[in-house]
Amino acid sequence: MGRAMLDATNTQKTLVTVRGLKMYFPIHSGFLRRHTGDVKAVDGVSFDIYEGETLGLVGESGCGKSTCGRALIRLYEVTDGVVTINGKEIAKANPQDLRAMRPTMQMVFQDPQASLNPRMTLASIIGEPLIEHTKMTKAERQARIYELMDAVGLNRSFVNRYPHEFSGGQRQRIGIARALALNPKFIVCDEPIAALDVSIQAQVVNLLEELQARLGLTYLFISHDLSMVRHIADRVAVMYLGKVVELGPRDAIFADPLHPYTEALLSAVPEPDPSLENTRERIILKGDVPSPANPPKGCNFCTRCPKVMEMCRSIEPTYREVQPGRFLACHLYDQNNTSAGSTSGIEASQKHVQQGELQ
Amino acid sequence: MPDGALPVLDVKGLKVVFKTRGGEVHAVNSVSFDLKPGELLGVVGESGSGKSVTMMSLIGLLPSPPADVREGQVLFDGQDLLTCTPDTLRSIRGARIGFIFQDPMTSLNPVFNVGFQIMEPLRKHMKLSKAKAADRAVELLELVGIPDARRRLDDYPHQFSGGMRQRVMIAIALACDPQVLIADEPTTALDVTIQAQILELVRDLRRKLGMAIVWITHDLGVIAGIADRVMVMYGGQVVEQSPVKDLFRNPQHPYTRALLKTVPGVLGERPEKLNVIEGQPPILMAAPSACAFRDRCAFAMPRCAKENPARVQVGAGHDVACFWDPATNGPRNA
Repeated sequence: MGRAMLDATNTQKTLVTVRGLKMYFPIHSGFLRRHTGDVKAVDGVSFDIYEGETLGLVGESGCGKSTCGRALIRLYEVTDGVVTINGKEIAKANPQDLRAMRPTMQMVFQDPQASLNPRMTLASIIGEPLIEHTKMTKAERQARIYELMDAVGLNRSFVNRYPHEFSGGQRQRIGIARALALNPKFIVCDEPIAALDVSIQAQVVNLLEELQARLGLTYLFISHDLSMVRHIADRVAVMYLGKVVELGPRDAIFADPLHPYTEALLSAVPEPDPSLENTRERIILKGDVPSPANPPKGCNFCTRCPKVMEMCRSIEPTYREVQPGRFLACHLYDQNNTSAGSTSGIEASQKHVQQGELQ
Repeated sequence: MPDGALPVLDVKGLKVVFKTRGGEVHAVNSVSFDLKPGELLGVVGESGSGKSVTMMSLIGLLPSPPADVREGQVLFDGQDLLTCTPDTLRSIRGARIGFIFQDPMTSLNPVFNVGFQIMEPLRKHMKLSKAKAADRAVELLELVGIPDARRRLDDYPHQFSGGMRQRVMIAIALACDPQVLIADEPTTALDVTIQAQILELVRDLRRKLGMAIVWITHDLGVIAGIADRVMVMYGGQVVEQSPVKDLFRNPQHPYTRALLKTVPGVLGERPEKLNVIEGQPPILMAAPSACAFRDRCAFAMPRCAKENPARVQVGAGHDVACFWDPATNGPRNA
């Protein structure tokens, strides 16, 4: 898959490019602790994030979405692959260069309780990146800290308080203020609302959207909450067992999911409306996600797929663009696939593929 | 669900207080509800709204101190569970009232195999022999959809996945054919596809076994798909109670209305901006003398700061604790 093809349909500027990202965690076992295998948490993932957009990354727990987000800004030493952020290669950069790149990319973590040092005051938490990466004087730093607190809606009088004095939603605001301190371009939000109550979730999501509009931020929004992703994301990538199985514009993904996994995932989300909920057709997947240490042969989803075919168990589907802007890894949409049963989805897909060829 | 049937569980004026170093926390304030045979009652609320504490105090699962059940009556089969002897309570808990907890990993004992844990209530409550209990355990595991049940009896909890562990928990809760099942956020720790499996299982079990269920959750989507009747809790009180369709079609309490608007769906129209309930949930350091929601309420009136609204009937099986009437956008005529 060439880069030219990926970019062909979009004129927006690409901020983050990921190609063939792999993150394996070694398994050591036996008396000599020999390297006996790998947990393939992220196994060959490619996508772009455009400047100013929010890419939602969804999937079930253990599918590798958080690992992907962390590997992307090199909180792990990646196994293989190329990641460029704002034109600079990061996956293999040396530590000095990497340090210089840190201010452009930041992260908001899932658990605001665990990601804030309980022995530091709010001022020292938000001010720490400023000390590390800038040459601001104490007064300038103080001014910047107040500015950030205003931006995320924290009262200035809280500046000398400790994290335990804040509620969950406020703590997440501190985490966001810290991430914003160095004027980043790109922020990885790793389940930023998962630990919060429903009524507080909306507050934080609105804050993230407002900051994006004001500061022109680019987000990778990692979440398992599909309804929130539908709200905040411009494009959505669906991960399953270390791979991106489908990626496309938000409305297209939610209205017309192509991959059987996306379809099942969407149908599993309970809808807060009893009349809709009782008439909906549900696809209930059988069984559990296989272990990423020992993924199945062929397509990773073949063990649970309701539309599985013979070839899925032996040949791995390639991830490619099936419609302008929509990427997919599924044999159902192979163009010369005639052996599959004739469901309407397949016929429709062949039409899509033909459209894709014309371009 | 037969109308007018005698409730299996009738809770009246329940009040629970926690004694802490900082003072008393009024976690549950005069909560009353009943549960009819075969009905599924959904209980919704944010963390700290008192939904779990209410249900745990019913069957004496709260450690005391710090918890103190101050007032109230819990009538189960003509007996008051709050005043009965510990022996009576023990014979009811786990046998006629089953419980499923949120996190299946911490509620299963890691050093016993699951067979032992399913057989324990069967041997204690039903006095079954080991062989009979094992047969019943296999039956139960098959009922909750665990394949290869006989062999899996010897497995330990860590050998099961999250969804399978929750199935084991359900099997334990169902072991003695309970009349009432209390499920405290049973799918919150699970992935959506696994949650869908468990919800389907519960629908199926209700058809087969017909027990009454109390389902605690903060997810309105889950409630919409599974409940017959819903009770909304806020600040340790029941603020609205209604049949499920009515609640979603015609919510009365400003909190319920706001909550329904903050939750986006995956179907239907996508709102440009999410509605927000400003402010924080209340800290319950004093017994309520006013409406607990008034600081966050868009329709608060002077009266709301002086009096705590009582629950008033607004429709068939629908009651609300609020002075404001959405139909007239003014004070409610009592």
